[in-house]
Amino acid sequence: MSAAVAISPWQRLWGAYVRGSARHPALASLVPFVPVIVLWAAVARSGIFPPVFFPGPVEVLRKFGTLMANGILPAYLEDSVVRLAAGTATGLALGIPLGLLIGMSDRAHRALWPALLFFQAIGDIAWLPILLIWFGFGLTTMIFVIVYTVLFPVVLNTVLGVRSVPLELHRAALSLGASKARVVWEVVLPGALPNIMTGLRNGLGFGWRALIAAEIIVGTSGIGFLMFDARRAGSVVEIMLGMIVLGVLWYIVDGWVLAPIERATGERWGLVTR
Amino acid sequence: MKSLTITHLQKTYFDPFAARQVTAIRDISLTVEAGDFVSVVGPSGCGKTTMLNLIAGFLPPTGGEIRVDGRAVSGPGPDRGVVFQSFALFPWRTVLDNVAFGPKMRGVPKARRHEIAQEYLALAGLAHAAERYPNELSGGMQQRVGVVRALANEPDVLLMDEPFASVDAQTRMTLQEELTRIWAQRRSTVLFITHDVNEAVFLSNRVVVLSHGSVLDDIAIDLPRPRSWDALIEDAAFKTLAARVLQQVRAA
Amino acid sequence: MRADRIASAAAFTLPLLALLVLWEVVVRAFDVSPRVFPAIEPVVKAGIDSIADGSLIRHIGASLVRIALGTSIGILVAVPLGIAMGTNRAVSAFFTPLLRFFSVLAGIAWIPIATLWFGYGFGAITFVIFNAVFFVVAYNTLLGVTGIAMPLRHAALSLGATRRQLLTEVLLPGALPNIVTGIRTGLGFAWRGLIAAEMIATDVGLGYMLFVARDFYRTEVIVLGMIVIGALWLLIDRLLLAPLERATIERWGLVRAA
Repeated sequence: MSAAVAISPWQRLWGAYVRGSARHPALASLVPFVPVIVLWAAVARSGIFPPVFFPGPVEVLRKFGTLMANGILPAYLEDSVVRLAAGTATGLALGIPLGLLIGMSDRAHRALWPALLFFQAIGDIAWLPILLIWFGFGLTTMIFVIVYTVLFPVVLNTVLGVRSVPLELHRAALSLGASKARVVWEVVLPGALPNIMTGLRNGLGFGWRALIAAEIIVGTSGIGFLMFDARRAGSVVEIMLGMIVLGVLWYIVDGWVLAPIERATGERWGLVTR
Repeated sequence: MKSLTITHLQKTYFDPFAARQVTAIRDISLTVEAGDFVSVVGPSGCGKTTMLNLIAGFLPPTGGEIRVDGRAVSGPGPDRGVVFQSFALFPWRTVLDNVAFGPKMRGVPKARRHEIAQEYLALAGLAHAAERYPNELSGGMQQRVGVVRALANEPDVLLMDEPFASVDAQTRMTLQEELTRIWAQRRSTVLFITHDVNEAVFLSNRVVVLSHGSVLDDIAIDLPRPRSWDALIEDAAFKTLAARVLQQVRAA
Repeated sequence: MRADRIASAAAFTLPLLALLVLWEVVVRAFDVSPRVFPAIEPVVKAGIDSIADGSLIRHIGASLVRIALGTSIGILVAVPLGIAMGTNRAVSAFFTPLLRFFSVLAGIAWIPIATLWFGYGFGAITFVIFNAVFFVVAYNTLLGVTGIAMPLRHAALSLGATRRQLLTEVLLPGALPNIVTGIRTGLGFAWRGLIAAEMIATDVGLGYMLFVARDFYRTEVIVLGMIVIGALWLLIDRLLLAPLERATIERWGLVRAA
């Protein structure tokens, strides 16, 4: 079936790239950034925008090195991540049981659903002013905002997941001797897990944004604070650095940790996630 | 309806994984006379779908010529209508709007093209489904719409790419009989790709057997028309022809 | 049908009314200080006052104008761009990771740099909103277009569609469910970005109204503002987004991965 036709070096290179990126999908998703960085450097150097407003990748990289060396970046990063993690964990701890309750009880659903939708509509950021009055410019305020943000996607998706567990599975478990509590633990929770993962992923997506906003408005430390403080000093380099750090972190966490977990739970168990 | 002539068709392409040139079509020369019904069969990988994609203009050939009514063609166009295995109906358009799509592309005004679409839907017994969306129809009905959509555009040649492969066996037999009926009425020029030997013999006047990218055999099917499954399923002539085609396919 | 609509409207409002009653009861029973949380009456009074002196209308108006402008421009630029990128497989493969990265950053993270580039005020805020909508919608449009199966494109071409007709008759409708999902997500980010940006970067708007009230411990204004924000988003959701989704995604029976 194959003819002995000579192939050009370009084709050979293309072949190597296709095989390489098939084995390491990360390659395909990273390559497009190279020309972007080159373009960025070119625009910065050309001086179209004043360098004060538009630094190039080299300066950002240099600042990255400085802030890593003097420990500021790791410290701020740790602060932000700890807040996010604490808020998320609390959000999950509150949201999943609430979602289970609302998903399984029609009465709870009817009573709580409208309030849920309304409070979600208010949004996390709008709570900051009153939180500042209650708790001041501190950790509690920031954690509260994150919990609030993460809570709603988790609850809503948990409810969706609970309701998508077929009635027959409940019945099968009951007729095999499981108590109602065991049914929740052994059937409903695993059945809703793919949707819960989706909710977690959405929640985190909004959550880290809420964190940055909180750190900008409230903060004393953290990546959001780093960016806004730099803004006050008129220094764009840290702002760009902060944005890139955030983007890269979330790109990695979402793309290579959360999304695969979401897919794995859904696919491995043959469940359909919306 | 017009004739379709393929001369020394060739297709090679570069496979990046294997890092070498692959020959999908070695050398195919084939003529479908105006109003003729020709099926192409062959084992998997023999190149029949690639050949159809080349004729339809979805892929460029590496060599050779494709002529419709003596006129050289390249690229897709309304002169070569296509019916797809996956139906390819536009999910956001109603059945009527799907069938009216071709005329719409040609600029036919709305009232007239809806009229045309209604006519063709009636031909396939689907007038009642005009306002439905494709996802509301069964597979068999969707493919009827697919066939009628291609015909409503009055192409010179009709290309059918394993159109009944995604449909259940019973519906398939009904659709095959309907296709022969429609073809008899309109005497379309049809090139029909399939892996199902019985289907090929049932539908066509000629069966071309493809093997490794070139023509292995060209068998005339002189069974009388109209054809029905009830009559042919035990018919000796049919069984002989089918056996002969199958033998060629297996030898390929 | 009408009875259904009334019943579902009642089902929605009844629990909220119960919540209102609960609010009033709790504030009175625990003798909550007005600095911590207002009773219903001061909030209503603040509402009436701010409507009367026009300040509430001004704030709502400013916020809505910003979000409407930023969102419309964002969609108008993102959709054609997304479709154009989606027509060529190599181009779409190149831009997908890039757009994904930027849509990940979209919105709030741009506030510091936006205020630096555009200064405080309308420009920076509208930029943040535009940014939030643009990247998310462009990314989702691109995903939508690349998700359209080849047979559909081939079918259109064999039915005589020109390149322009392919764009408007196949690519745009085919990508529409994804575009609508992108609009919903982008608008969510944009709304949050709006409120956050208004808290720090301007002197009119709902975010500003909330933040300045904090300075004076006027919790009744804060709660009023929060209710207004919640109600506005619910209106946007019910009157804009839900009908849009119904008309596209559900009617075509398409289920797409965002």
